[in-house]
Amino acid sequence: MSDAYRSMWKELGLDLEAHDMLLGVLGNAYQEIYLSQKERPEGMGYFDFVMSEVHGLRIKELLDEKAAGRKIVGSYCVFVPEEIALAANATLVGLCSGADFATEEVEKLLPRNTCALIKSAFGFKLGKVCPYLESADMIVGENTCDGKKKAYESLGHLVDNLYVMDLPQVKSENGRALLRAEYFRFKAAVEKLTGSVITTESLKAAIQTVNAKRKAIHRLSALREADPAPISGLDALLANQVFFYDNPARFTASVNKICDELEKRIEARQGVFPAKTPRILISGCPQAVPNWKLPFIVEGSGAVIVGEESCVGERGTRNLTSESGQTVDEMMAAIVDRYFQVDCAIFTPNAERLAHIEEMAAAYRADGVIHYGLQFCQPYLMEAIPVEKALEKKNIPCLRIETDYSMEDAGQLKTRIEAFVEQLKG
Amino acid sequence: MNISPLMDDGYAGEPAKRVLNYMQGRKQKGDPIVGIYCGYAPIELIQAMGLVPAVLCAFSKVPIPAAETVLPANLCPLIKSSYGFIIEGTCPFYAMSQAVIAETTCDGKKKMFELIADIKPTHVMDLPQVPDDREARRNWKRMILKLQGFLERTFDREADEKRIEAALKSSNRKNALMRKLFDYAALIPPVLHWKEMYDVGFLALPATGEEMAPILEVLLEKLEQRVREGTHFGKPGAPRVLVSGCPVGGDATKIFKVIEEAGGVVVAPDACTGMKAFAGVFEEDSGDPIAAIADRYLDIPCACMTPNNRRLTDLTAMIDRFKPDAVVDFVLQACHGYSVESYKIGRHVQETHGLPFLKVETDYADGDTGQLRTRIEALFESI
Amino acid sequence: MERRFAGIDIGSRTIELVVVDGKGRVVKSLKADTGFDPMAEARRLMDGVGYDGIMATGYGRNLFEIAFEAPTVTEIKAHARGARAFFAQATSVLDIGGQDSKAIALFANGKVKKFEMNDRCAAGTGKFLEIMARTLGFDIEAFGDEALRAEKETAISSMCTVFAESEVTSLIAKGQDRREIALGVHASVMRRVAAMLQRAAPEGDVVFTGGVANNGCLRSLLAQKLGRKVRHSPQAQFAGALGAALIAMEGKGR
Repeated sequence: MSDAYRSMWKELGLDLEAHDMLLGVLGNAYQEIYLSQKERPEGMGYFDFVMSEVHGLRIKELLDEKAAGRKIVGSYCVFVPEEIALAANATLVGLCSGADFATEEVEKLLPRNTCALIKSAFGFKLGKVCPYLESADMIVGENTCDGKKKAYESLGHLVDNLYVMDLPQVKSENGRALLRAEYFRFKAAVEKLTGSVITTESLKAAIQTVNAKRKAIHRLSALREADPAPISGLDALLANQVFFYDNPARFTASVNKICDELEKRIEARQGVFPAKTPRILISGCPQAVPNWKLPFIVEGSGAVIVGEESCVGERGTRNLTSESGQTVDEMMAAIVDRYFQVDCAIFTPNAERLAHIEEMAAAYRADGVIHYGLQFCQPYLMEAIPVEKALEKKNIPCLRIETDYSMEDAGQLKTRIEAFVEQLKG
Repeated sequence: MNISPLMDDGYAGEPAKRVLNYMQGRKQKGDPIVGIYCGYAPIELIQAMGLVPAVLCAFSKVPIPAAETVLPANLCPLIKSSYGFIIEGTCPFYAMSQAVIAETTCDGKKKMFELIADIKPTHVMDLPQVPDDREARRNWKRMILKLQGFLERTFDREADEKRIEAALKSSNRKNALMRKLFDYAALIPPVLHWKEMYDVGFLALPATGEEMAPILEVLLEKLEQRVREGTHFGKPGAPRVLVSGCPVGGDATKIFKVIEEAGGVVVAPDACTGMKAFAGVFEEDSGDPIAAIADRYLDIPCACMTPNNRRLTDLTAMIDRFKPDAVVDFVLQACHGYSVESYKIGRHVQETHGLPFLKVETDYADGDTGQLRTRIEALFESI
Repeated sequence: MERRFAGIDIGSRTIELVVVDGKGRVVKSLKADTGFDPMAEARRLMDGVGYDGIMATGYGRNLFEIAFEAPTVTEIKAHARGARAFFAQATSVLDIGGQDSKAIALFANGKVKKFEMNDRCAAGTGKFLEIMARTLGFDIEAFGDEALRAEKETAISSMCTVFAESEVTSLIAKGQDRREIALGVHASVMRRVAAMLQRAAPEGDVVFTGGVANNGCLRSLLAQKLGRKVRHSPQAQFAGALGAALIAMEGKGR
């Protein structure tokens, strides 16, 4: 860790001692969970580098961008349209929310039975350990679930640059109009922030950039259909996580490079696990860096994860934005259309998600589905009920997991997952 | 203390039975029943069509174990109870209802309605979450019109503007009388008991202004008489408590009981089951009664709204009027909206009004009454 | 000499060791308290017991796997197999162990179809019953029988062990009958596991395994609530170890 980084973190107002501790824990976890894997694709080396520099070089890049006049927009949700930020000369980054931090401080502001992701977002702020949050010129919150919606009211007292986006809850014409109005409001806000007006050219280029990123992930996902699996679920999840942090063009190139390698592996029938290893689809809540708990346990129990039906995963990247628009208005309409398809559990009803889970289970030839719910996340925990029912009807075994970020329940989770894998083996 | 019941009709203390009797009467007359779950259901529109709104069962712990065989344990007891009543078939109001009106208030309810949507015709109203947004009022009005369409189709009845206007005027009259009634709880010492407010409110919510006015006028006279006779509740100097937060009914009224056992008097039951239901005034003769209804309902300061600053304003008005010595924020377990918002309420009560504040998070079970009692007593000691 | 196979179930409270012969007949059953050093206890238990292969299950199975280089199987599969050894047609299995309880549904051929476990708290487990028995001053072995003698139940509403303990303490302080409280405690455990069974394994007779299966009060409350027959073997506590031994035998046999 160079001294240059330390002074950078200090200038950002991070708590250096706490931050050192966080990086220490993160480094150890990464070593134990990621670097101990066998037969990893060489291309993952890039992601190892990204992770080792996730609070270092990447932050320096962002600060350099800022110095050059760009603005940084931080987000907690896949409903915040990256296209609009990019087109207005801003960079969109995901904000830290994947680990417990400063829990005691957090619980002074939020009830204990708030989901781990929301508590984490607060913990990183209160503990002063998220350089992304501290670099951001604008933090975007959004009215998704009850917990987030209300927590942003409190977060507003902790940061002075919070912007809250309202979101529809029903996919009606009214809902679409609301999303449209909110995206135009967001566009105006980002334009005001950056002082640059979104043009036909800039929006078109932004749509292409983000689509390219999504297409690279689609390519990666499709390669996971192979048996033996050419890449572990852990590594694929990491690529999906880095999606939110990295420079878009570089990310796209790196994922495509891995895909080239994976294609060769598939041709050589080479995999990270033996052929016929039980294949599992994960469905449910997002898994943000460094929340690798579930895939670590699953892939340590003799199964491989072949897909993530999640915001950090296919729910977030599934749809492309149409590139056919010729005017800003037409392209904005395409963006609204694109995001309106995201099948988050905050929508009622949300039948599309059920259909997508079934489609994904078939496409990735999953032997079973693990429904991953964060404790106290009512939308996903409630949807798990019809999801399980529907999968059972199709004779696809389903295991419902409800957990948080702590390792307290790791032993019990391991037993359940091992038993589920035994069940899949028959 | 031997005070004769305010509503001396044989149902004192049994508001559910009284309302069931009322519903059965209306049903016999041929008026269809529509189930509702929430303070956002526009009662006036329902009444304008000659339909009867019935508040569905949600306040008993009895059906919760049945609900827990399906629902996650970390869900609010109100939702678990509602769902349990339905799957066990034990809510008479649900059985009577030919359709159910639901709203996208909180995540738990929103998703629970999906699970019951195929049992009875269920219409979900898409409730705005940002009431101060320019579009919110227009959107909400649109949702009320959609509900009108649903009710017209389901019951083959129509509501014209004249009848809707008449219904909201009728509600204005009823609500004004109810607020007058609550004034007697604002007296020091109070001459109205929380059980009486609960009793009256239970009936007043679904009934029309025409039905309620004669009843309420008699009650108001009785209360006047109590004032003349010096009848009141609570020991001299008993701490006056305003209870805000989640709905309080049935088994949840344990909070009122505990406050009373600890020597306090509940002078202001806020919440949708209390005074909130009778707050606000519909604009009359506006030429657009649906818009008038939309405006009044969107002003309800529920924690599902963001930001919900209206709750702070209303709370201030209530504190000025009822002069409580302490504020209790009653939060049902796993109700994220009210639970998260409680932090703001606490600060407002303590910093703006200098009053002691206590957040209580509980469910319908009695297991924690001992602990609740200790906490309430400690609250009173801080007055 | 005929080949023999062992199964060892390392639970949070006790360790069981079962040895079967090549036909799956039990030739030896032993048990010990888990204590503070489960591997030392396991070694002591295995001392002098001969077998050709051993399979470990229970929460200490991974420790055992490292210490003795033995294969492992989860408690779910082991109890399912053990239950089928007791009752060949079993399709619904309930196991209440020291810190876990599980409901398991089986296909007609005995394979696991679906299962559910208690969430991370101790309510609905053997541990819960043990703490409550101690709080009420009953011997754990006699807890069920004492509860059965109560004429009515004093309801316990707290699900959480910590809260339930203080609830029970305050009920005792109020002078409530200890047996009636005991019945309430049993009913609270019953409701928990009944809900789990109704979700995961809603049909057929229930085969109750694990140490708590010997508790007659819980069995009768469950049967009453579910309207299903609740069956158990006097050897119920050995179900996990027996299942593991049989799985070891069947694996080697093929």
